[in-house]
Amino acid sequence: MTQSNKLNFIIVDDSPLDCFIAEKVVRNTGKAASIKSFLTAKSAINYVVSAPLNENEHTIIFVDIQMPVMNGFDFVEQFEALPMAITCRYSIFMVSSSINDTDLNRVGNYPSIKQFLNKPITSNNIAMLISNF
Amino acid sequence: MNTQEKIKILYVDDEQHNLNSFKATFRFSFQVYTALSSDLALEVLKKNPDIRVVLSDQRMPDKTGVQFFEEMRGLLPDPIRILITGYSDIESVIDAVNRGHIFRYIKKPWTDADVASAIDEANKFYITNTLLKERNEELQAAYDELDKFSYSITHDMRGPLLSVLGAMDIIKHLDDLNEVREILDLMGSTLNRLDDFIKSIHEYYKIKRGQLEFKEIDVNAIVNEVTDIFKVAGRMDQIEFKTSVEQHAPLICDEVSLKIILNNLLSNAFKYQQKSNEHKLVELTFNIEKEKTVIFVKDNGIGIPTEHIENIYKMFYRGTTQDSGSGFGLFIVKDSLEKINGAIDVQSVVNEGTTFKVTIPVKGNDTVK
Repeated sequence: MTQSNKLNFIIVDDSPLDCFIAEKVVRNTGKAASIKSFLTAKSAINYVVSAPLNENEHTIIFVDIQMPVMNGFDFVEQFEALPMAITCRYSIFMVSSSINDTDLNRVGNYPSIKQFLNKPITSNNIAMLISNF
Repeated sequence: MNTQEKIKILYVDDEQHNLNSFKATFRFSFQVYTALSSDLALEVLKKNPDIRVVLSDQRMPDKTGVQFFEEMRGLLPDPIRILITGYSDIESVIDAVNRGHIFRYIKKPWTDADVASAIDEANKFYITNTLLKERNEELQAAYDELDKFSYSITHDMRGPLLSVLGAMDIIKHLDDLNEVREILDLMGSTLNRLDDFIKSIHEYYKIKRGQLEFKEIDVNAIVNEVTDIFKVAGRMDQIEFKTSVEQHAPLICDEVSLKIILNNLLSNAFKYQQKSNEHKLVELTFNIEKEKTVIFVKDNGIGIPTEHIENIYKMFYRGTTQDSGSGFGLFIVKDSLEKINGAIDVQSVVNEGTTFKVTIPVKGNDTVK
C-alpha cells in the first residue's frame, strides 16, 4: 500500500460508548490526523460523499455490523457504489460483537472490506493495522 | 351429537342407489357427502377441505378406487382413505395398500357397525395426524425464533459487556477524573440497556410460558401503577402525561399481559420524543365498554416512517437510531395481545406523533382461535 502522509479515522457505531472507546484507542496511537464518530451509517455515508479529497491522505473506517435502520453491510454497499476517486481514499474495517458465521461469510462478498475485527477494538490490533499504512 | 360436532365424510360410488342407502344409514352419526364419480369426488373435496374420511368403492367405470385414492393423495393428502370392495383378490389389496395408502379395507357386503367403527378409527387417526402436523409447525416456529434469539444474544448481550470491558481498559490508563466520570456515565447507560434487554426477555418468556389468569382488573390502580413506574424512572421529566379512564363495564383480562402491553407502549411513547419539542405529551386512554375495551397510547413524538410500519412488530426490528431500543418491545406487545385475542393498530405521522390503539375483547378466552 502506498505511504500516506496523513491518516484519518472514521468510526461508525450506534453505541456511544463504543464510539468513545474506539476514539480513545485510536487517539492513543498518536498516528491519527483526525478522528470522527458517527452514530448512524447514514450520517457517515453523507460525510464520505461530501468530504474534501486531499492528496496524500487516507482514511480508515471502522463500521459496526449491527445498527438499526442502516446496518454495516448497507453502509458498505452504498460506499462501493461511490466513484473510485472517493473509494480509493478509504479502507473499511468491519467491527462486531457477533461471532456469527453468516456475518463472517458475508464480509468476503465485499471487496472494499479489508478485515473483520472483533469488539472491543484494542490498542494492539489498531497498532498492527496502522503499521500497514 | 349435534350437527356442528358431526364429522364430515365422503362416500364415492358409481351407483346412486348405494349412495342413497349409505347416506340414509349414516346421516345421523356423520355429515355425509356423496359423489357418483371420482371427478365429482375431487370437486366435493376441494369445496370441503375439512372432510376427514373418504370411502370409495373399488369398481367404478372411469377409474378404480385405488387409482382415485392415488390421485387424491397427491392433491389432498390429509383425509383418511377407506376402500370398499366385493372383490378381494390379493393383487388389488396389495395395490390398495401400496399405491392408495388406504387406512382400512372393507369387504362387501358390509355391516353398519363395521363401517361406523372404521370411520371412527379413521377419524382418530386423522386427529392424531393433524395434531402432529400442528405441533410440528409450532416446533418449527419455535426453532426459527430460537435461531434469531441466539443471534441477537451475541449482539444485544455480549455487545454491551464487551463495550464495558473495553471502557474499563481505557480507564486504567486515565489520570483525568472528569474523563473517568464521562466514561462511567457511558458505561452506566450501556449496562442499563443490557438490563432492559434482559428484563424484556424475562417478560417475554413470562407471557410465552405462563398461564393466563382472567380476572377483574382495577383499571385505576393499573393506571396509577404505570404512572408511578415512569415517574420513578424519571421519564416524565419535561413530558406531560395525561390519563383518562371511562369505564362502563368491568374489565376482565389477564393482568400480567395487560401490564406488559401498557409498559412497552408507554415506554416507547416516552422514549421516542422529539428532543426539540417544547410541549412533549403522552396520553393513555381507557375506554371500557360491555363488548370490548379500547386503549389508546398517544404521543407527539418522532413518529414512525411509513416504510417501517409493517416491520415494527418483528422480533429485534428497530426503526430508529434514537435512544436505546432493543427491538423487542412491540414484538412482546403483539405476542401478549395474541394470547388474549386482542388486536393492535397504529397510526403515525413523522414529526407529529404516534397513536397505538389496542382492542381487547370482553372475555379474552371466548373468541375462537
